[in-house]
Amino acid sequence: MIEVVRLVVLLPALAGLAGLLARRSAVAARAIAVGSAVVVSALALAVALAVSPMNTADIDSVGDLPLRNLSAPLHLLSDQLSSVVTLVVALVVLAIQVFTVWYLREDPRYAQFAATVSLFTAGMLLVVASADLALTLVGWEVMGWCSWLLIGHDSERRSARRAAHKAFLVTSVADIAMVVGLIALSVRARSTDLLDVLTVPMLPGADAVLTVGLICVVIGVAGKSGLVPFHDWLPDAMEGPTPASALIHAATMVAAGTYVIARLFPLYATDETARTVLAVLAAVTMVYAGLLAFAQTDLKRLLAYSTLSQVAIMLGALAAAPPEVGPVPAVSHLVGHAFFKALLFLGAGWLAALVGATALETLRGRARDRRALRLAMAIGLASLAGVPPLVGFFTKDTAIDAALEGATGSEGLRAWVVVVALFATTALTAAYCTRAWLLLDTPRPTPTLTPSAANDSFEVEHGGAPARSLTTSAFDDAMPATPLAVGEPGVLAAHGDHKPITLTASLSVFALAALTVFGTLLLMGLDGAVHVGLASAIVSLLLIAGGCFAAWSWSDRGRRDAAERLPSRLRAGAVVGFGADTAYARVGAGVTALARLVVVLDRDVVDASPRAPAVAARQLGRVGVRVHRAVPASALLGVVVGIVVVAVLGVTVWQ
Amino acid sequence: MHLQYPLALAALLAGIGVFGVLARRNAVLVLIGVELILNAANLILVTVGSQPDAPFAAGPVLTLFVITIAAAEVCVALAVILAMFRGLGHIDLTADPELTDNPADDPAADPADDPDYATTGDRDSPRNEVAS
Amino acid sequence: MTTRDIVFVVVGAITALSALLSVTTRHVVHAALWLLVSLGSLAGCYLVLGQELVALVQLLVYVGAIVVLVLFALMLTRAPIGPNPDISTPPWQRVVAVVLGGATTALLAATLLPVLSGVTVDLDRPRSGTLQIAQAVFGTWVWPFELLSVLLLVALIGAFAVSRLVIRQGVDAP
Repeated sequence: MIEVVRLVVLLPALAGLAGLLARRSAVAARAIAVGSAVVVSALALAVALAVSPMNTADIDSVGDLPLRNLSAPLHLLSDQLSSVVTLVVALVVLAIQVFTVWYLREDPRYAQFAATVSLFTAGMLLVVASADLALTLVGWEVMGWCSWLLIGHDSERRSARRAAHKAFLVTSVADIAMVVGLIALSVRARSTDLLDVLTVPMLPGADAVLTVGLICVVIGVAGKSGLVPFHDWLPDAMEGPTPASALIHAATMVAAGTYVIARLFPLYATDETARTVLAVLAAVTMVYAGLLAFAQTDLKRLLAYSTLSQVAIMLGALAAAPPEVGPVPAVSHLVGHAFFKALLFLGAGWLAALVGATALETLRGRARDRRALRLAMAIGLASLAGVPPLVGFFTKDTAIDAALEGATGSEGLRAWVVVVALFATTALTAAYCTRAWLLLDTPRPTPTLTPSAANDSFEVEHGGAPARSLTTSAFDDAMPATPLAVGEPGVLAAHGDHKPITLTASLSVFALAALTVFGTLLLMGLDGAVHVGLASAIVSLLLIAGGCFAAWSWSDRGRRDAAERLPSRLRAGAVVGFGADTAYARVGAGVTALARLVVVLDRDVVDASPRAPAVAARQLGRVGVRVHRAVPASALLGVVVGIVVVAVLGVTVWQ
Repeated sequence: MHLQYPLALAALLAGIGVFGVLARRNAVLVLIGVELILNAANLILVTVGSQPDAPFAAGPVLTLFVITIAAAEVCVALAVILAMFRGLGHIDLTADPELTDNPADDPAADPADDPDYATTGDRDSPRNEVAS
Repeated sequence: MTTRDIVFVVVGAITALSALLSVTTRHVVHAALWLLVSLGSLAGCYLVLGQELVALVQLLVYVGAIVVLVLFALMLTRAPIGPNPDISTPPWQRVVAVVLGGATTALLAATLLPVLSGVTVDLDRPRSGTLQIAQAVFGTWVWPFELLSVLLLVALIGAFAVSRLVIRQGVDAP
């Protein structure tokens, strides 16, 4: 069993390496990517079945790090929580790898993409299986690097490169805090081992190191999970191919933050300050992202904002849950969200590949005549909205119930904030899901054709390459003029070809759909993962119904876009994220200016004093040269005068 | 024979040599003055060596050595004078030297090279035209 | 005042006079030729002093080689033929040069003459002939002698290297 846990982490990394080595052969690359995903899933299933509720194993990975005052045993662990999350990650990655084979089969760099996905998976599984803060950090950074590669996969497009750099820079800036936080926690325990960190005895009174460490970890998590100050990289990350979006959003990168905080939950339970920071960030993010999602004009960006909102729900549950409930509700929602968000992204990729665009205006009504895809999207959106009996309902209500328990119990005001935000988010989620569904499902009413819409429909009739090339060329033309916005506001470049979907790829989507429907059963194995309170369920169901009805009525029973009811300026602002990108650019410019100032200070002020002697010596040398620059004849005269004088003196004095 | 006469001649030759070194601006003629001083030294050596109790035949032997050294010295000195003539176009010792330590001050110098000296490997160098 | 003394004074006078002419003449080439005369008559002085080997070497090396080299140098540096006032330093420098030359002469004379005042030597039966010099050179002085051969080689290579140098200067020949 110990070997299996090691293998689960090691195998995807080796598969990534092998995939790179075999990149010349597409067949070999596919076989390695899918094969390793299948094996990892099987191993993860074996681990999940074998782990009894209290089974926690300290598993050596590469041996201790030889540090003097810090013990770093680099252990892995395997318990109920990690085995469930490992299984979910493995399954989602398997579905994504199978889907990618179809989605990127015309792409010359498929092998690199699949290998990066494998390495990314290795990073996530390392974070999940890690019992050591150092290993967690390693996996965390591996994911950061791989997300850069995945988002920038279409590296010939400027917007994709920019999105990749943006994601990497924003998450790396947050990772500074993450590193500081993990170091603070390790130093406090004199060990990087997770159990040591959790069991270090509490000091009496306020523990400043602990508070700082936990807050820094929250900031790092906010970077990767897209909490409010750092949220804007995630919608831009939609520039990557849809499988990459599914991978980053569903089960791995953004969810990793939740998992790390869940692992550190016993520490957070003791620290009011850090939890309050987490609660405020999560509450603001979930409502704000839900509002923005409602206004988006692009399906993938809508899903991206919904991811922000849903991840904030998990973190909100962590911030509000009472210690006796623990982190399990958050991880439960992580699992449910992984299933339905992967399903939604793969469905969106499917649809986009068929239609050639991801703009909602172009996709309007396109899902109606494709039964299978329509069903998949319906299940995904319903689960996102929280409609029972899908997994989204159960996990979200478990999270709400945990927060409510905290609010009525020991957690007080902080938990109430989270609860109110959670209920608001529930209604918002239902509203934007309904809007998306109505747009996808209702055919465009012909009388209300606007000129641009007519253009779109023209493209759609001709289908295929012309539409895509038009979209991309318009996109590229728009880029230089608006370097901060992502092309035409809120519309992403479409990806993929227009070949009919293969059976295996559609099967992978339906496997995820099945998991979305029956995933609750999987969660039953985890203690406290499904715990629906009656009151919270009723309230949230009412809110869902209200949100759906509001969206439905705003859209004139689906005849128009519900978001058109919003003021146009507000909507335009929401599409570009209210200038968060500009703010990031300003921060970057500020930091650069500060760095330049430091350089100038260092070079012209600090370094001036050490350089001054050199300059002075050089000038003195010049003066010396000038003094010594004599006419040879006169110089010779002087020399001989000197010799004779010395000789005369010598002779006379000597005698 | 009185040995005071050769010594007086040596003193005279040395004085004339010093005058020759200082009164001439042509470098080759300065060299002639130096030769005279060397010969004064030689004469002193021979004179002292012709005393009956001189050990190891030191006088004449050292004179021979000095003559050899003088030959070497003239050899190198003339090479230096020739190099100076090829570089400057004159061997006038009263001319103002224009030495510089900064390559940027010297418009003729290639900044990549040593500011003062460079070997002339190619026959097309303008410096060689001066000498030929 | 023996015959040798008289002969020496005559030959020495020629030496000193030609040396003086070689440093004062206005003809560049004449200076070298007067040096030739001076060095040749100095060889005569050596003969009078009974050092025939030194005298021969003086003739061979100085008159035969060094003066010829000097003449070559004068030709290679395009020395003007005919009287040329430009070969001497300004008058004030020449005055100082006269003073310094006189001082040197006076100093040497004042130092050397008292050392050997009244010393006479009978050179008709010389104590150190060519044989003794040869034995001394290849006996006592053999290492300095070998060192000198190295010095000559180094000087040869050095002269070759230096003559290939060019002094970079803005001033070019007309």
